[in-house]
Amino acid sequence: MQRRTVLIAILALLLLVPPAADAQKPIKVGFPMPLSGPAALYGDPALKGAQLFVEEINAKGGVLGRKIELLARDSKANADEAVRVSRELILKENVDFLVGTLTSAEGPAVSVVAKENKVVFIAPIPKTDQLTAPDKLHPYIFRVAATTTMEGRSIAEIVAKWNVKRIATISFDYAYGQDVTRAFVEHIKRIKPGVEIVDQQWPKLGEADYTPFINAQMAKKPDAVFSSIWGGHFLTFSKQAKPLGYFDAIKYNLIGAGEIASPEATKAMGAEYPVGVWGNSYDAFYWQDAPPAHRDYTARLSKFLKDDAPSSWSIQTYMAMQFLVEAIKKAGSTDSDKVAKALLGLTVDTPHGKLTIRAKDHQANRGQLYGQTARDPKYPFAIMKPMTYVDPTKFMD
Amino acid sequence: MPDLAFLFGQSLSGLTAAMFLFLVASGLSLIFGVLGVLNFAHGSFYMLGAYTTYQIVQWLGRDPGSFWWAALGAAVSIAILGGLIERFLFRHLYGADVLYQLLFTYALVLILSDAAKVLWGTGQLSVSRPPGLTGAFKLWGTFIPYYNLFVLLLGPTIALLFWLLLTRTRNGRLIRAAALDREMLGALGVNVDRLYTGVFVVGSFLAGLGGALIAPVKAVVPGMDVEIIVEAFIVVVIGGLGSFWGTMLGALVYGQVLAFGILIFPRFSIFSVFALMAVVLILRPWGLLGRPLKS
Amino acid sequence: MSGLRRIPWALVLVVAALFVPALGSRFYTFVATDVAILALFAVSLNLLLGYTGLVSFGHAAYFGIGAYATGILMKKAGIPFLLAFPAAGVLAGLFALVFGFFCVRLTKIYFAMLTLAFAQIVWAICFKWNDVTGGEQGMPEIPYPDLAWMERLPLAGQLRTSDHFYLLTVVLVAACLWVLRRIVGSPFGRILTTIRENPERAEFIGVNVRRFELIAFVIAGAFAGLAGGLFGIFNRGVFPDFVYWSKSSEVLIMTILGGIGYFYGPAVGALVLLVLNQQITSYTQYWPFILGTILIVLLFAFPSGIVGALDAAARRLARPRRA
Repeated sequence: MQRRTVLIAILALLLLVPPAADAQKPIKVGFPMPLSGPAALYGDPALKGAQLFVEEINAKGGVLGRKIELLARDSKANADEAVRVSRELILKENVDFLVGTLTSAEGPAVSVVAKENKVVFIAPIPKTDQLTAPDKLHPYIFRVAATTTMEGRSIAEIVAKWNVKRIATISFDYAYGQDVTRAFVEHIKRIKPGVEIVDQQWPKLGEADYTPFINAQMAKKPDAVFSSIWGGHFLTFSKQAKPLGYFDAIKYNLIGAGEIASPEATKAMGAEYPVGVWGNSYDAFYWQDAPPAHRDYTARLSKFLKDDAPSSWSIQTYMAMQFLVEAIKKAGSTDSDKVAKALLGLTVDTPHGKLTIRAKDHQANRGQLYGQTARDPKYPFAIMKPMTYVDPTKFMD
Repeated sequence: MPDLAFLFGQSLSGLTAAMFLFLVASGLSLIFGVLGVLNFAHGSFYMLGAYTTYQIVQWLGRDPGSFWWAALGAAVSIAILGGLIERFLFRHLYGADVLYQLLFTYALVLILSDAAKVLWGTGQLSVSRPPGLTGAFKLWGTFIPYYNLFVLLLGPTIALLFWLLLTRTRNGRLIRAAALDREMLGALGVNVDRLYTGVFVVGSFLAGLGGALIAPVKAVVPGMDVEIIVEAFIVVVIGGLGSFWGTMLGALVYGQVLAFGILIFPRFSIFSVFALMAVVLILRPWGLLGRPLKS
Repeated sequence: MSGLRRIPWALVLVVAALFVPALGSRFYTFVATDVAILALFAVSLNLLLGYTGLVSFGHAAYFGIGAYATGILMKKAGIPFLLAFPAAGVLAGLFALVFGFFCVRLTKIYFAMLTLAFAQIVWAICFKWNDVTGGEQGMPEIPYPDLAWMERLPLAGQLRTSDHFYLLTVVLVAACLWVLRRIVGSPFGRILTTIRENPERAEFIGVNVRRFELIAFVIAGAFAGLAGGLFGIFNRGVFPDFVYWSKSSEVLIMTILGGIGYFYGPAVGALVLLVLNQQITSYTQYWPFILGTILIVLLFAFPSGIVGALDAAARRLARPRRA
């Protein structure tokens, strides 16, 4: 009896049909994003940023008189799954647009889906150059994230001002790590010919024990290090590197790509943070010389997340949604082709000032905040001080 | 040729990694030895151990001994959780095919990972090293963190205690007997049910302890459950499933292969451990110190 | 009752499946393609799991090898599907032969772990070998096979490319399942069952257990490869995740969920799991929790899988009538 009930329940679930479309149709935006596993660390706040924007725009009556509906799906930081959920969003939920993905594998994979289905896709976080490379570019893909080239070069610009000669690198051995490291190495050699790359370590993505790599690197006696060990991995890395005297040996001349100076990274690490290293972040709630819109945005985000030190990742999806909605307004339509055209060369007033999606490569001139980390009596965790917004416009090509 | 100090440093880091792995893998091996099932959820217990440690440290605040209480509290809570799962769920599957038991433990992995997500969110959490063990000292040209030294000493201590438990106590002897012949033990009037629950509790305790002790050197994040379980599987399989010293040997080999693998094949650390497992299994089908399974 | 039994249900199902695109929903075609391909994948695994009694933790290796084989041949070498598709089966079968040679020397959990080790090595190669596999970013944009000829078929002329590919998939999967069905029903298949029931006795009556296990392993691998070849095209790209152990566990769950004691059990498992996933992920991101709960309920309520439960229910219904 009990078995039959369960069986019937399963069958009933199977027979559920896709929810029917109602009369006053909202504009549907599909949002594939890692919401489980280690990458949910970024995917979760990224979702919140988009949700905040949608809440705000809907409160103002939406766009073209229609509300926006965000449909988030867990892409598990996995290209295969990202493709599956994106197609499901397009085919089953009939989404009008796609915003999302996080990793350098997910972005290009979903881009192909967008191209085949002629759906505008704005990538807020994937950095791989491949996504908007000339042979991969198509009318429907746009990006508001920095690229590996922009990030690597921004860091090279900073390191060029340091009084160092022997530089080492440590990065994960996969597309993002390789690309951002290459961009850094090529640019620094160009702008500061005297430097020497003395060591390059390539731990595997998600390495649990960095000690062997740290030992090997210290043996080469570098005086500065470029790292792209990102996010939560940097926490593990520095926990293991600190007692080995790694940071002292290089006099804290480490600069990290991959948002290691973001408020959530320094907050999570608290007292363990190797204060004095350099890093970057997409956003910082404590940004003093920010454009005026930033303070307002931070206050709203803070309220939305119920967090005094809100995440730096939400801004990326917030901006992506801003670009989308501005383009819809400009096009006066939700037709993908019209919106795609409207996005070309579109300038939007974001919380970080005016940003433009270039017509030639569909890439926004999105910079990041860079700075040296320091303690500040106002906060129980390290912040970037001083901190500058590095505008990549000069070296995007 | 790298200098000796460097080689010493590498081998030491391999040894530390081995001790962490041993803590987790020994529990896995124990449960397999007695119950005959690979417990996928062992990695989840390890992860919950790390999260629980973080939680208790938060509750205790700035108390200097907070980490130690937290580690103990976490290991005990996970032991209780393991015991409850065995007593109320797993027990009913002993008669079923091994495949179903595996599936059950896999289902637990899914449920517990989402439970951790609900309880602690998706952010990265950090536990500080206990006061007194934060620094490092220099030996033969290599920095050795005090905490690593502690783990290096704790590993063998637990191994020894465990071995004494298995060989010198009645329960230990029963556990070893159960690994050889369960039916016989039941026929001799031993309360096999209680023994099994006990084994599950001890195994889960070790997983929880492993998670608690790794917390100060690793970010506590979602996904650490599946990351460790694959490593722990490799260790117990290399050593020989159910073999106590085999697990120790497997962990030691694993640690050294990782530490020196990056010197010989710098960019192939992603292969090295799986290649190691394949080679060991091809040459020694029951692991280094294991014995053939009964059919 | 006997009248019902005489109807060739499998054929009816295939014909019915061919009409899915006629429903006019691209989504239904999408789901049906997914189900058909994964059903083949799961049934191929069951040749090992249910029929031979071998638990493989690394079946995704052969699925992935097939996907990469077809993908690379079609995208990079421009070789037509007609050759690239069988190549997936051949290559996956060859790899299964090499890996299986070592695996069948081992028993039980050690067998499982060695299959896992080989699968992870394959995964690492796919993840690393940028020039050939595209590395971690995989190979997006595998072209569809040239199916323009389908436009001349009656009824199929108005359909989209993805619908044409679906029709091709249904025919190919049905053919593969038919071959597999013949294999398990043959004397060879009965020897496999004997090995599962009692390897010692099989050895005693003169069966070379290892050789038969190896043959089963190669066949299972080859069919998994064919499934992979189709999946790469369907998924519009081949990625290292296809080979990762989580994919192996996914297909293992499908197979057990459907019922390893039934030929079509794994196919039903694939259907149920995929459709449940579609429905539930629309409402909550806690799909793992729900899947885990479903698995536990199933283990305790229907240990012989969904098809086992349906079978038992059908028998119970049939009994009073006979009396």
